[in-house]
Amino acid sequence: MDRSRALILILGAAFVLAASTGWPARADTAAAGDANRGEELFASNGCGWCHANAGRTAGKGPQLAGTARDDGFIKFRITHGKEGAMPAFGGALKDAQVADLIAYIRSLKGQ
Amino acid sequence: MRNRTKGLAAAVFALGTTLAVSPAVAQTAQQLEAADQNPNDWLSYHGSYKDYDFSGLDQINTNNVKDLQVAWTHFPGRTTRGLQSMPLAMDGVLYYSGSYSRVFALDGATGKVLWTYFPQLDDELVARQTHSPYNRGMAMGDGRLYIGTVDGRLIALDTKTGKPVWDTKLENSEKLTVGFTGAPLFVRGKVIIGSQGGEWPARGPIFGVDAASGKKLWEFYTVGGTDEAKKTWGNDTWRTGGGGGWMPGTYDTATNTVWWGTANPAPLYDWSGADWKTAGARPGDNLYTSSVIALDPDTGKLKFYHQELPHDAWDFDSALGELVQIDRDGHQYMVHPNKGGFIFVYDRNDGKIANVWPISKNINFVKSIDPHTGELIGRRDFTAGPVQGEPLCPAIMGGVSWNSGAYSPKTGLYYKVANEWCITLTVQKTTPVTEPQVQLNIGAEFKGVPPPDGPMRGHLDARDPISGQVKWQVNFPQPPLSSVLATAGNLVFVPDAAGITHAYNAETGQELWSHNDGLGHVGGIISYAAGGKQYIAVPTGWGSLVGDDYGTWFGEPFKSMPKDAGALIVYSLPSH
Repeated sequence: MDRSRALILILGAAFVLAASTGWPARADTAAAGDANRGEELFASNGCGWCHANAGRTAGKGPQLAGTARDDGFIKFRITHGKEGAMPAFGGALKDAQVADLIAYIRSLKGQ
Repeated sequence: MRNRTKGLAAAVFALGTTLAVSPAVAQTAQQLEAADQNPNDWLSYHGSYKDYDFSGLDQINTNNVKDLQVAWTHFPGRTTRGLQSMPLAMDGVLYYSGSYSRVFALDGATGKVLWTYFPQLDDELVARQTHSPYNRGMAMGDGRLYIGTVDGRLIALDTKTGKPVWDTKLENSEKLTVGFTGAPLFVRGKVIIGSQGGEWPARGPIFGVDAASGKKLWEFYTVGGTDEAKKTWGNDTWRTGGGGGWMPGTYDTATNTVWWGTANPAPLYDWSGADWKTAGARPGDNLYTSSVIALDPDTGKLKFYHQELPHDAWDFDSALGELVQIDRDGHQYMVHPNKGGFIFVYDRNDGKIANVWPISKNINFVKSIDPHTGELIGRRDFTAGPVQGEPLCPAIMGGVSWNSGAYSPKTGLYYKVANEWCITLTVQKTTPVTEPQVQLNIGAEFKGVPPPDGPMRGHLDARDPISGQVKWQVNFPQPPLSSVLATAGNLVFVPDAAGITHAYNAETGQELWSHNDGLGHVGGIISYAAGGKQYIAVPTGWGSLVGDDYGTWFGEPFKSMPKDAGALIVYSLPSH
């Protein structure tokens, strides 16, 4: 095939690849939450009951500040809970609210 | 079956049942009202309506307790959040409940399983709850056992067979997120049970149910339950007031009065500062939260009340304490611990204050409580933001918790665990969340810290219940979270948090025996007789909400202690 067609094919493949995998990596703006809204949600949904010091200290629940867990894990934990340890908030919180909570958690400094 | 035949069959069945049940009805009411004179059985949560948590058995005593050994063990399974219940015993059969309101009937001498009942709960709801799926105990009467569920039901089981007789849905737990974890109270053909509430913004009802049919007879809202009470909630905040009565009350047979302790208001912490009567999250006294109330058991109508903490701003429930009926020097007293670490002593006939004395050493939410009037002196109210100065004492976990104390009519002493711990906190303005389901309304973020006078710890006190005078004290490095048992053998049994059950001389506090049960204790403890032999039954298994922090504060064994394991461990003396 001639060079221009090959170039179109290569660019097209690269575009398809980027579109389907998010490559090259870029921030997923749909998931980015607001830490201030997250702080309000944390307070009004009773998260501090178990996550002492608003999540900065370990207590009934683990310390959230500086957690090594990724966003996917945290979202799953919030929505599904953990038997005998944490309630499931999936029915109570929308995806955008969960994203706000994750943004809040990421903003915390431990104590 | 045709309608007429069905109707006839139903009529015959009903007649037959009535004839069969009638003699037992009168007998059981008498049994319950005289339970403190029947040492072989343990017929209600606290042993009898007197709430003594005392066994009249003395086969096991100060001379021979050193030989106490395990007789048998039972594993209930699915012990999520540990074994928090107080067993019951009648005619040599032991009955107890585990998490998910699973009920077991065992031969009291051997532990052989006689029957079991596992209700089907709303698992999707349970997954959304925090104060769940534990169960703290049952009531018994008229040939039936009664147990509440975290999904808002009250279930009656035939005592002999374990078959369900009725199953009544009392609360919309799917929406309110709370249900029942506390034991009900059987009173003359009625079963009374109080809802969870407190930090959950609803209205905390107490229900009266017909014991034979399961039909709801009455409902008393601990939040704004009368017009007078509604006026004590500014801006209609009674709608999301909290309240509740999540532990069993008791029954004064002489006056036909049910006493019940009520839970705290929501949010737990207020930003009003000193202006709590007119400003903040819930302006006013907030009746009838953090109170003891006296109800007519037939109608649920309020007879009288005393609000232990007007406008409670610290989560110091009155719901958690035993109501101990003591007659002394011509007075009829009711002794009741409040979560803030004060013991309230009432005249049982009218609820007037006879005395108030502190049991916890570190208290600063008030300077004191007037022992004549019950007035709070020097109360600490906060505004939004970090709380300055001293940490708040006692901590949100309580100067006392819901584990019951015991009273020995032999020694005249009240044996009660008190806790020493505080919190630092930042008060936050919150809006109650009630859609799509009710969520915890705390109103602060907080962290447990040691008290000013030393490390976090607990102590078992032997005190005069009326004056508060100390006879002896035993210290524990972690606050014990199990109820305690006093016996006519002059013993006090204390299952502690680390897993050791101790027996002390009731007069002196000398430790006479101990045994490592292998898991912490957050339940009840009883004694009963089977086949002429005395047994001590110790629910063992860790995982209550208060205990969840012990790994952080105290390290091992709590860091590695499972919160989903448990067993009923039953002790007796060796056979000769």
